[in-house]
Amino acid sequence: MSVQLDMAIVVGLMTGAAVYLILQKNFVRILFGFILLSNAVNLALLAVAGDPSGKTAPVLGDAVGRPMVDPLPQALILTAIVIGFGVTAYLVFLFYRMFVDHDTADLEELTAEDEKGGKP
Amino acid sequence: MNLTVLPVLLPMLTGLIALLWSRPTAGRRTAIVASTLGQLGVALFLGALSYAQGPLVLPVGGWGTTLGIVLVVDLLSAIMLALSSFTALACVLYACAEKPAAAEHPLQLPLTQFLVVGVNLAFVTGDMFNLFVAFEVMLVTSYALLTLESDNRNVRHAWSYLGLNLVGSALFLLGCGYAYGLFGTLNFAEMALQADALAGDPRLVLLALVFLVVFGLKAGVFPFYYWLPESYPILPGPVAAFFSGMLTKVGVYVLLRVFGTVFPPSLPLVYELLAWGAGLTMVFGVLGAVAQSRVQHILSYHIVSQIGFMVLAIGFHTPLAFTAAILYIIHHIVVKSSLFLVGGTVRHVFGTDRLDATGGLWRVAPWLGVAFLIQAMSLAGLPPLSGFWGKYLILVEGVGEERWVLLAAAIVASILTLVSMLKIWLACFWAPAPEGGMPASRPGTRRMTSVVVGMTAVSLVIGLGVNFFYGVADRAARQVLDRPSYIEAVTGRPAPGAETILSLR
Repeated sequence: MSVQLDMAIVVGLMTGAAVYLILQKNFVRILFGFILLSNAVNLALLAVAGDPSGKTAPVLGDAVGRPMVDPLPQALILTAIVIGFGVTAYLVFLFYRMFVDHDTADLEELTAEDEKGGKP
Repeated sequence: MNLTVLPVLLPMLTGLIALLWSRPTAGRRTAIVASTLGQLGVALFLGALSYAQGPLVLPVGGWGTTLGIVLVVDLLSAIMLALSSFTALACVLYACAEKPAAAEHPLQLPLTQFLVVGVNLAFVTGDMFNLFVAFEVMLVTSYALLTLESDNRNVRHAWSYLGLNLVGSALFLLGCGYAYGLFGTLNFAEMALQADALAGDPRLVLLALVFLVVFGLKAGVFPFYYWLPESYPILPGPVAAFFSGMLTKVGVYVLLRVFGTVFPPSLPLVYELLAWGAGLTMVFGVLGAVAQSRVQHILSYHIVSQIGFMVLAIGFHTPLAFTAAILYIIHHIVVKSSLFLVGGTVRHVFGTDRLDATGGLWRVAPWLGVAFLIQAMSLAGLPPLSGFWGKYLILVEGVGEERWVLLAAAIVASILTLVSMLKIWLACFWAPAPEGGMPASRPGTRRMTSVVVGMTAVSLVIGLGVNFFYGVADRAARQVLDRPSYIEAVTGRPAPGAETILSLR
């Protein structure tokens, strides 16, 4: 398997940015962090298929008898994108509801309320 | 074996039909109960078959084992399927008793069925990526159930569950990609076949550590457990019982499967980490429980502590320890779910489960008290109740391996378990009724109690008929650890070279 340094750097940068965003207090930043994280993981999966240069798409007809790209990681990514879409939709809605219920978009204020208020 | 599809297909169809059934009625409830009974029957039948024949394999769509999806039911899977159907049945019956059909949230029972789909798929799959899909089905449904009936104040507790699981899912996906890069396949048997050749390779150790973190997070192992006591108490009673019984145990099952069947036995670093993580989980879990003052919070921390026992057995990594872990899972699911149902009943009667606002339940529901006492003693591990046998075997194995510090942790955790269970007993049942007198007996309490008593009877059967259950757990552990036979059953090619700890004895 050939080394894909460019891919490794991109995935590393994206993951770093995602972790930075997830550790913020603001809901919107956390949301973007998770979206970025799932995309970074998808790219890492794509990199598993190896260097695509000189290979054709894995479609019958064109690819017969020629080197082609490994289709399995692409199938995995497709599934992961669909699942990620659903989960992101849920995350948006949870953040929205927490924002409406507690009138804040800041995680720290939310936990501070927890500590002083106690539970009913 | 086409039958292996049924544990996934039946709850999925039931959930869909229940969704289309315009509103919750007694008829819909009857249909769901009937279907759950059928699922239990199928699981027990699969168990009998796999006990006699070994793993039942179905390559879905005939795509072969390297790239296609394979469903495998061996005895351990069948045991877990039976337990999940049993818990689902108890929780549905309890939910029916708790509220009249008209007051039920229309999505609660269908979503519980979809949750069973994800849980069962995780038990029958023989493929890493399919396991990821099963986890996601399970998680998305559990997110929905978590916030379905939570009020405005509580909804924020869903965040810690969601946030940690999102990170876990991303890591799991990364692990899948990594495994595919390393092995060129995601099938458990094919991975096991190639893992032997890679024994001692640091890449294999790294992959094992990634999966350790991912499944440890699902199971609630130290230091990834804080989401559990944070989120479980906001669930309504019957849903909390199913969550507490099954969701973390899926993580434990996968740890058994991955470190028993897929990875070769020669990963000492990983097993050492598992054992010490488990020791810390036991102690921190039970300390958390001692510090709490609400029933469902105490019980949630106990799950963490009990998970420690099961994972400790996996960390010892001997055939007897695996038997002990499986026996412990059988006991734990029944006992823990029923205790959560008791907690739900406390909430039902008093409107809260705070220990300082309850009392005198002994007079209103004496049988509930008896059931709770038996289950609490069983959880602490008093002989001859069901919890004793699993703990006893784990301790025997610990003595054999001379792990004195971990043994001490296990014994301390057991004693503190008893202390905090007695705290619930004294405050809810024994203490005088709260000021302002007992609340008037709420309708449904009697039927809710009878569900709990039924589950207690099952756990008594497990404790007193342990000979039979030990035999089943022993056979299941052997099937999990017998890597050559598993590989041959799934791929159809004999694998005499595959390492297994069974032959070492």
